Parts: sequence; structure tokens; C-alpha cells
Amino acid sequence: MFSVKRKQFLIFFVPSLIVLAVTVIYPLVYSLIMSFTNASLKKQGFGEFIGLDNYIKAFKDTYFIDSGWNTIVFTVIVVTLEFLFGLAVALLLNRIKRGKKIFFTIIIVPMLITPVAVGLIWRLLLHPDLGIVNYLLGLIGVEGQAWLGDAKLAMMTVVLVDIWHQLPFMILLLLAGLVSLPGEPYEAATIDGAGRFQTFLHVTLPLMKETIVVAVLFRVITAIKTYDLIYVLTKGGPGTTTEVISYHIYKQAYTFLNTGYSSAMSYLLLIVIMLISTLFVRVSRGKPQPR
Amino acid sequence: MKKHGIVLMAIVLVMSLLSACSSGNNKEASESSGAAGSGKKELNILMESVPDTDFVKQVVDKFTAESGIKVNIEAVNYASMHEKLVPQLLNATSSYDIIVVDNYWVGEFTDAGWLEPLDSYIARDKFDTSVYSKSMWNMVGQVKDTAYMLPFYNYAMSLVYRTDIFNNTDLKAKYQAEFGRELTLPDNLEEYVNISKFITKENGNSMYGSVMMGLRPDPISVEWLNYLFSSGGDFFNEDGSVRINDANAAKSLGLYIDNMKNAAPKGAAGFGFDEAFNVFAQGNAASFITYNWMLNKLQDENESKVAGKVDVAEVPGGVSLNGGWGWAIPKNAGDKEASWKFLKWVESFDIAKERALAGGSPTRNDVFTDSDVLGQYPHYVRVQKIINDSHMIPIIPQAPQLIEILGRELSEAVSGGKSAQKALDTVAKEIAELE
Repeated sequence: MFSVKRKQFLIFFVPSLIVLAVTVIYPLVYSLIMSFTNASLKKQGFGEFIGLDNYIKAFKDTYFIDSGWNTIVFTVIVVTLEFLFGLAVALLLNRIKRGKKIFFTIIIVPMLITPVAVGLIWRLLLHPDLGIVNYLLGLIGVEGQAWLGDAKLAMMTVVLVDIWHQLPFMILLLLAGLVSLPGEPYEAATIDGAGRFQTFLHVTLPLMKETIVVAVLFRVITAIKTYDLIYVLTKGGPGTTTEVISYHIYKQAYTFLNTGYSSAMSYLLLIVIMLISTLFVRVSRGKPQPR
Repeated sequence: MKKHGIVLMAIVLVMSLLSACSSGNNKEASESSGAAGSGKKELNILMESVPDTDFVKQVVDKFTAESGIKVNIEAVNYASMHEKLVPQLLNATSSYDIIVVDNYWVGEFTDAGWLEPLDSYIARDKFDTSVYSKSMWNMVGQVKDTAYMLPFYNYAMSLVYRTDIFNNTDLKAKYQAEFGRELTLPDNLEEYVNISKFITKENGNSMYGSVMMGLRPDPISVEWLNYLFSSGGDFFNEDGSVRINDANAAKSLGLYIDNMKNAAPKGAAGFGFDEAFNVFAQGNAASFITYNWMLNKLQDENESKVAGKVDVAEVPGGVSLNGGWGWAIPKNAGDKEASWKFLKWVESFDIAKERALAGGSPTRNDVFTDSDVLGQYPHYVRVQKIINDSHMIPIIPQAPQLIEILGRELSEAVSGGKSAQKALDTVAKEIAELE
């Protein structure tokens, strides 16, 4: 009945399709339907169909808008700084000959710690009264700060902790890109008499373009979705200064139990992430070469 | 090939949707038929990882020996309890036979019909509920005259203070000289904040008048509610209208912010329970409005540097926030008789006393006044009064949401994002809108 090829197709394709359907497609479809209803954890089932009301509500919700703004600020700062530092460290690691493995192992450690543990560790380190950060600052005559308790400082503190945690990821991707670059263009550049900076600008960066786009895109997506670090460090406070969008959605779902509304907000977030991803992919492909 | 792929994908998707819908029902059917009347040999309990849970763990072997029923206690962090409980309670069957319910989930859980009414069990077995402190029974016992829980332990808040600081003759003399009155334990909030600021001013950064906890939503809310209640404020009027933004409330928030800014350690606006506790346990604060059972921890030399130098008193102003947990049986529990058997046992006088002697926080009046318990914990005379005079967070289904809103706005007021009055007006508006 089935040809050998088709049998192979079924054997290899169906199991993965089932897994995909159960773990990805089913929740996606379920939450999409839910986003058009007034579903609540207080009652079973989907609730009543209310059309686009949840989506309209989100645009009128000042807390949603504010948390969106906080998310943009957070994402832009962390991704920019992580990219710049990450590129610098990757270039450095790519050049050094001895002790590379040791440096690399040390640098990669923060990435291996789960975000909740990172948050807890930094809460202890940043304790204004008993933490080591303020103690060390005191030794060099700098006044200790209320890192997480000061509305003006809290976002910057969260940004710093995130950079500490996520920088290795950026270094890892960029370094992988650097290592795999072909040698010929560099030889050609040397023969043409290009300096180090010129080589970096006109050879390394264009060759690295796709790696950079992937690394930055990955970080933009994960930074927009940041939740655990905020949950442990500030709970969105002081006031609403560090309330990011994922934390806001989580509270709507699990404190206010509005699963319909929180699904709608999640879908809005998904749309934004998809738009950004498309933009990045377009940029990475660049303009088509003239024939 | 492509067409087949799409058809196949569609079939798999539909089947997976159908199977996901029906699998739950099959599971329910098989579990309920298995449990009916068979008599459970194991009970699963979800509890919070706190000392009182440890004291229960220490005695459960006795229950197993007496009844032949094994008890599995799953102790988790408070933050993950509600999320773990709600899906279980929504299911047709629960994997927990017994749960403990925090007072501000009581309204939500009883309103949703998730808890088994206990009146028939209580009446049949003549379990005496009059032994419980009235304020505990009204909070984590009955709701609208139906018993849903047995009070497990109390966490009424109180003023924990350093006896050596409040009796320091040098400080006392300076206070007398500056304010013309004696430095004693304050009986109103104005005096408390004044003393707090004075101690911080006198001791620079080495000793703060009070350590506070401004992390949203729970720490800041529960701390400020002591200020609110002690200033004569409350959430609602008797007719149910909101009064959380009246003059008493605004005054109490003004005092709270004053204390936070001028007496508490820098950064206290971001402190949770642990950070604040550590500052006090390290000996860097003179007072701490916190749970009364913290005193036992603070008197433990292994956990605190201030052991032997601390005591507990009522919150200045006399009305603190009551808190407590109740034992309950989920309506969808497998074998409710076995669950009740455990509840009856763990809350019997002998076991409740044993837990109290180990350091547990009592809810039964007869345990509070027991000579052995009082001999070990003489401050329970005061704790009993604190509990009796305290107020609770209203028992309404929306209590968690109420605390979330309150915490956010208090934090706004403390961090300068809004004025005290404007923050409280927002709380009042959003509470009134809660469904």
C-alpha cells in the first residue's frame, strides 16, 4: 500500500509531529481561543466569547502600556551593552593564544546558573546593609547604595545583573562566529595594506553579519520575555519602575486569574516578537545583489 | 507527498486535541472508582516550608503508628503554593488529601466551593471547636457559619524589639533631654515613629530604629496594615463601602513613609521578609513589626545574634494584622474520612500541645494557657492578647488581588511615584472595581 519511502516518512515524521502537536500547537491554539473569551481560573472552561474586547482592553490598560515601556527600556539597554561587551570580549578571546580555555571556562559560569538562583545570589550580594557590594564600595570610600530599593536605581541594577548573567551567551555565539571565519579575506586585506581597524570594519563585521543578527535576535527575544529575574529581584517595584511585560501578564493570569485577558496580552507580545524577528531576518539577508 | 503531509498533520492535531480533552476524564473515573470506600493508606498534604510544618513532620509518625495511614508532606515555598493549589482544586480529583489554607485565600477557596464543609464531621465526632481563639476561628475556621477549616497556626503580627536598646540608660537620658518624656515602649504610632527616628539619628548606620520591608506585594502590604488598623482605619465600612482612602488611612501611610525614609535602613523599600529579618537578627535594628512566632527564631543563638535580648509586644496603637493558616480537606479529595481522621488527630489537645512545645505557634486557647507551654514560652500571655485584639484581611474571594493592588500602590507612595492620598485613592478605586 505504502511505498518504502512513504513508510520511512511516516515512521520518522509522525512521532515528532505528535510531540509538536501536543507540546506546541495545542497550547497555542488553546490560548488563542482563550484570548477571545473572558476565561478565568475561577471557573472551568473557556468562559464566554467576547471578541476583541481583551485586545482593546490591553491598549487602554495603563499598567500594560507602562510595563511595555519598561520592557523596551530594559531590552534596548541590556542587548546593546551585552552586544558591545560581548563583541569586545569575543575579539579579545579570539586573539589570545595562551590560557584561552581557562578564561573561557570562567566567563561562561554565570550562564550555567538558573535565573532564579542568579536573582537570589544578587539579592544577597546587593543587600544594602549586609551585602558585600556595599561593603567593598565602603572600603574604597564610596557610599553604599540601595540597589533594589531605590526607584531611580532599581532598573539599572536589574540591567547589571542581567548583563552579568547573559553576557557569556553573547560571547559564546560571537566567538563561535569569529572562529569559523575564513582566513583568505584577511590575507587579502593584509596584502592590500589594510590596518587592524579597517580589517575589523570592512572584513570582520561584514563576514560576521549573520552571526551578529542571530545573537542579537536571540537576546532581544529572551530579554523581552524576562520574568524570573524581576520576580526574584524586585517583584516589579519599587512602585512600578521594574515591572516588565511578562511579569505583568503572569500577575494577570495567576493573581487576578484573568486567563482570557492574559492570553490576549501574551498574543500581543508574540506578535511584537514575530515582527522584530522578521525585521532582523530581512536585515540579515540584506539587499539583493544586482545581477 | 505534500498533500499527505498536511492531511496527516491535521489528523494528528485533531486527535491530540481530542485525546487531551478526554484523557483527564478517564483519569478521574479510574481514580475515583479506586478510592471509593477502599480506605486510603496514604495521605498527601501540601504545606508551606516554615517551622510549623517541621513541627508537624516531627509528630506524624505517631499518626501512622496509630492508624496505619502513611502521611506524605510536600513542603514548598509560599510563592509557589497558590499556583500549585489552584489547578489541583479545579480538577475533578486532587492529588492532595489535605491542604493548608492561608487566611487570604479563604474567601477565594470557599467561594469557589473547593473546600469540604466540616460541620458534619465535627458534630459526629464531637470535636470541640470552642477551644480556638475566636479571632482565629473567624479567620481560618468558619465562613458564614459553616466550618471549612481547623485553625493550624497563627502568624498575627507584633512588635519585636530589642530590650537592651529600649532600656539603654544613655539613650533614655538623651531622649528625655530632647523630647521631655521617657523613652519607653510606644503605645501609639506617632511615638513609635518618633523613637525610631531618634534611635537611627543617634546611632548612625550601625543601628536603625526599625527595620522595615517595602517589597511588593505582600511584605509592604502586611506591614502597613498594622499601621492602618492601629490608626483606626480599615478596608471597608460596615455597609461594605470602601474606606481605605479615608483620613485615618492617609495619616497612617504618612507615618509609614516617614519611618521608611527617616528611620529604616537604606534600601528597606526593597526588603522582603528575609532581608528585614537578617538585619534584625544581625543586631542592626531596634524594632521590627513582624510575625510573633519570629521571636522563637530570634531567641535561637544559631540563627540570631540578638538571642536573649529580644521580646514581643503589641504593635504601637494596639491593633495588629492577624494571620493564620487553616487545615482543610479539598472537596475533590479521594478519601475524606481518612483526611478528617488526620485533621482530628493533629488538632487534638495532646498533639497541638506537643507541636507548641516544639516551638509551634498555637491557635487553641487551652494550649496557650497550658502551664507547660507557658513555662517554656511566657510571652504567649501577650501573644494571646495580640491575636484577640487583631484585625484580619477581609475574607473575600478577591483578597489576593486586593493585596496585589495595595502592595503596588503602597510601593508607589513609598518610592515617591505618587502622594500617599493619591495612592490610596487608586487602591480604593481598583478595590471597588474588583469582580
